[in-house]
Amino acid sequence: MGGILTILILSPLLGVIVLSLMPANHSSVKMIGVFGTVLPLIVTIGVFSLYDRTLSGIQFMESYQWFELMTAISPNEPYPVTYDLGITGLSLLFLMLSALITFLASLAALRIQEGVKGFYMLFLLLEFGILGVFSSENLFLFFLFFEVTLVAMFLLIGKWGGFEREKAAFSFLVYNGIGSILLLIVIIVLFVEFRTMNISELTSLLQESASYEFLSGNTRMWLFLLLLLGFGTKLPIVPLHTWMVRVHIEAPIAVVMIHAGVLLKIGAYGLIRFGAGFFPEQLKETAVILAILGVINLLYGAFIALVQTELRAVLAYSSISHMGIVIIGVASFNTAGLQGAVFQTISHGLIAALLFLLVGVIVDRFQTTKLADLGGVASQTPLFAGFFLAAGLASLGLPGMSGFISEFLAFLGLFEAMPVIGSVGVIGLILTAVYMLRAVLAVTFGERKPQFDKQKDLSAVELVSSAILLSLIIWIGVYPAVLSNTLQMARTLGIGG
Amino acid sequence: MSSIPLSAFLLTALLLFCIGLYGALTKRNAVIVLISIELMLNAVNLNLVAFAKYGVGASIRGQVFSLFTITVAAAEAAVGLAILIALYRNRATVNVDEMNTLKK
Amino acid sequence: MDVVWLIPILPLLSFLIILFTRPNLYRKAGIVGTIFTGAAFGCALLVLFSNFAEGNQLVEANWFSIDSVVLTVGVEVNPLNALMLVIVTLVSFLVHMYSIGYMANDERIATFFGYLGLFTFAMTGLVLSPNLLQLYVFWELVGVCSFLLVGFYFYKPEAKAAAKKAFIVTRIGDIGLLVAIFLLFWQTGSFELDVIFESVLAGDITPSMVTLIAILIFIGAVGKSGQFPLHTWLPDAMEGPTPVSALIHAATMVAAGVYLVAVMYPLFSSSETAMTTVAITGGFTAIFAATIALVQRDIKRILAYSTISQLGYMMLALGAAGYTAGIFHLTTHAFFKALLFLAAGSVIHAVHEQDIFKMGGLRKQLPITAALCLIGCLSISGFPLLAGFFSKDEILASTYADGRYVLFTMALLTAFLTAFYMFRLYFLVFAGNESSKAKESSRIMLIPMFILGVLSVVGGYIQTAWFGTFLGDWLETSPYPITVDHPTAPIWLPISAILLSLAGIGLAWMYAKKLRYGERLNPVHRLLFHKYYIDEFYRVTIVKGTRVIGYFWMYFDRFIIEGGAQALIGLVKRMARAGSDIQSGQVQTYGTVAFSGLVVVLLLIAVIGGYF
Repeated sequence: MGGILTILILSPLLGVIVLSLMPANHSSVKMIGVFGTVLPLIVTIGVFSLYDRTLSGIQFMESYQWFELMTAISPNEPYPVTYDLGITGLSLLFLMLSALITFLASLAALRIQEGVKGFYMLFLLLEFGILGVFSSENLFLFFLFFEVTLVAMFLLIGKWGGFEREKAAFSFLVYNGIGSILLLIVIIVLFVEFRTMNISELTSLLQESASYEFLSGNTRMWLFLLLLLGFGTKLPIVPLHTWMVRVHIEAPIAVVMIHAGVLLKIGAYGLIRFGAGFFPEQLKETAVILAILGVINLLYGAFIALVQTELRAVLAYSSISHMGIVIIGVASFNTAGLQGAVFQTISHGLIAALLFLLVGVIVDRFQTTKLADLGGVASQTPLFAGFFLAAGLASLGLPGMSGFISEFLAFLGLFEAMPVIGSVGVIGLILTAVYMLRAVLAVTFGERKPQFDKQKDLSAVELVSSAILLSLIIWIGVYPAVLSNTLQMARTLGIGG
Repeated sequence: MSSIPLSAFLLTALLLFCIGLYGALTKRNAVIVLISIELMLNAVNLNLVAFAKYGVGASIRGQVFSLFTITVAAAEAAVGLAILIALYRNRATVNVDEMNTLKK
Repeated sequence: MDVVWLIPILPLLSFLIILFTRPNLYRKAGIVGTIFTGAAFGCALLVLFSNFAEGNQLVEANWFSIDSVVLTVGVEVNPLNALMLVIVTLVSFLVHMYSIGYMANDERIATFFGYLGLFTFAMTGLVLSPNLLQLYVFWELVGVCSFLLVGFYFYKPEAKAAAKKAFIVTRIGDIGLLVAIFLLFWQTGSFELDVIFESVLAGDITPSMVTLIAILIFIGAVGKSGQFPLHTWLPDAMEGPTPVSALIHAATMVAAGVYLVAVMYPLFSSSETAMTTVAITGGFTAIFAATIALVQRDIKRILAYSTISQLGYMMLALGAAGYTAGIFHLTTHAFFKALLFLAAGSVIHAVHEQDIFKMGGLRKQLPITAALCLIGCLSISGFPLLAGFFSKDEILASTYADGRYVLFTMALLTAFLTAFYMFRLYFLVFAGNESSKAKESSRIMLIPMFILGVLSVVGGYIQTAWFGTFLGDWLETSPYPITVDHPTAPIWLPISAILLSLAGIGLAWMYAKKLRYGERLNPVHRLLFHKYYIDEFYRVTIVKGTRVIGYFWMYFDRFIIEGGAQALIGLVKRMARAGSDIQSGQVQTYGTVAFSGLVVVLLLIAVIGGYF
């Protein structure tokens, strides 16, 4: 099955091409936009089913010589830039998540009225970037695709966002731009030293003790910190988070679904794949600081979410809080912790997507996301209320849903390494329950408000989308082996101890 | 006949070029700017011809080049003037300072 | 013996069926739920009897793995949980049946039965867990069912607040349990109970660590069982429908805390400090809640405080090494407290009123309810030969044998207070003159009460000084190392207990006669009526404190961090503007800049290249 990853990455572009050939106000633009995301989903499912869980290492490798960089310093030894694709269990999970959430988000985007053609074109371009990021086996490609997502996101926020969309788009660009520059520095240094940008080659090279001749421990620490900053901006780590809150509040709902569900996870992916993969020693050295940062994220987000008056802001800070658990998992740097971190990214991807899907319903039906203006909608829209409550419970880590497994594993990992920090961190779990229930109950419980009487409950499309997400959340919660079986292989790549 | 050294030609050309450059960069009137550009071109021509006669491996090629340049210069002058006239019709000025549409 | 799997599955099926066919099922949901839980009860009985015959069993399957550690799910049957299973499924079955009548007029009756099914599933799953992880999973699930059912009348602001409070306060306790599980895992490398107990007894864990873990587990139990200081959610949880109060907040879920301590008994008994903590907390809660119950006016709240007090009693028994006594009281309490709640529900159903001072003389209108309620009251007060008498006696004996006389005195005093407030309730509601019209409840509500009434009378004979200590002997066959006590108490002990409870009843009779028209408001009374102002105290300190911290960080976020971010963005913007200002659009300026640039570059090359 050579070339399937290339097909996968390029598949969203088919939709872009078809859309570009259509008149802007054609009635089937939306349909084609949605269909454009179905194609990658199908290919991803194909990849998922073809992936051999019993093998370790990278699968579906594609590697071609692309071009060579000549330098004046050593003209006879050109630097080869290759085109490498390949996936591990880790990236497979992310691909699956991305394709699914993009599909569901494209359904949620059906409500968009203006500039539909441009929206879907950029939307598919964004998917192109995301799929590329997760299937690159090469830092150069990774970076290219990463930049594609930035551009597409910038335009999507800036054009289709809320009242302060331009400000939000700008902070998005500035933060992520700086983050990607830091990343670029690391990539260049590694390229210059090792003459390769292939990720698995770099991983094994860097873990050889001989490579210390090329790159001293000190330099590594700097590179690691740069990576941490770069991906930390994406994750985001407090205090680099304010852009992300803005995006959550201002961007169109469908884009927020992708943003919270997938894009933030690039930070986690990068941190695990490159941070832990390239510089395990440095990670161990900074583990305590990292764990403290994680706990700060967890508590900081939770405390602020507690006093927000706007549902989207609550969810934004809740995302920050939940990403703290990812950092905690990575910091503990044992199997339980790393597994917890990955589970948390997947689980939070699904849960955040579900929550924002439902927020989209709220915006559509009730025209407000202010907690004080909402309330009692369980009387008028019981199905919606049921799903929203379930999503809230999933988010606060109810056992039987995916959030619990990930929190449990991450903290289990942390308690082995740093029980004291862990004991402070668990307070976050209480706070999560407090703010999540506060927000969810403010919307669904309470006295019936007559102005919402005429609102319809979930439509068929909304119902099916929510049901898909919720059943995945429960499936992972009840049978986590579905993730860990795929993931075990990622460990054998030298990720984790 | 051959008493005038190469450096004299080159110095003349340099002088001519500098005058042209000065005019092109400082004069307000677009016509003068155009004339200054012609001046610079002619300085180049002078160089070409001089090298064609006295340069290392002198050949006819330099003179051919200068012919080319003269042709291009003529065309450029024609187009330049045409643009100028068009501009003048629109703006009623040939002042270069006011032609800053590149900014926006 | 294989039917043990069915016990949690049947209620789960009931939940799923009702969930997916809710609109069509409507009122028939009650029948579906009742049949399924009835079947589960049947299975539980089978399991119980086969445990007598065949002993304990343990079946496990792999769930998922962390590296080489395989996590399992499974079911375990031992005397303790076989007993719990029967209690849970029986009470659940009866409450299902009762609810068909009680909830008949509610639009969301199907949802109600769905939740009940889910709860029964979670509770039986909790009881069957052979490892701590699975136990924790179900532990949280019962919590969420309790939350859903407390908030069943979601349109009532009080119900919303109560549901939230119930979830969050118990969550605080749960986190203690969670931390304990983490610590145990890293100490013993397993979540399995048998492995854990083995290494505890082998002394692999340092004594101070055992104490720490035991106390953390106890925090979980404190949250779930409404012990001081995490008791405040339980009275508020009475906002839920009354059958729910009977099932979850009297007989089963709140007893899960006691059950947890009983399950982890080998761990607790290895730490003297932990045992003392349990005993003191239990003893204090018992008397503390009993005093509050003395002056409450809401019939359900009195019962709620009574539940807290009785749970404290059980904790006291466990802490005082009275393993059998604690479990015994758990069993009998499940019967008579469920009975009392169902009776209260029957009264509320009839008069639509919860304030006992607005009731009276209902004995004539609700004769059967009154009779059953009287049985319940007598049983809980420790009236001789009823179930509560024997179990309470057992607890007193254990506490006495343990030698902590302060706690023993508190227990005796609590027995007296219990008799008083229960009969205060009974006399105010049922005795005296008729004050309102009421109709006796339907048969479907009375049958479950009748069954519970019978059990409240005869349930005590499984462990008596006269007919043998069957329960204790059987509990001793547990697969885990549990030392079952056989305390012997002096003869004056049961006699004085009887006298105290009779005194309580008598005093209540006089009190009720005298104070038909309201109570005096002296400071002590007010203090008790406001539950020692603990809710207010928490509101001012913890709730407010958390919000203040939240606001602090919010403003920090908004001004300091966001301010810094805006400064950064402003800097970038200003640089951009400066750059764009250079682009004046003047071709001549561009030319000048380009030319000077060329000159500079050429000069540089000349200088560096050494041509000068």
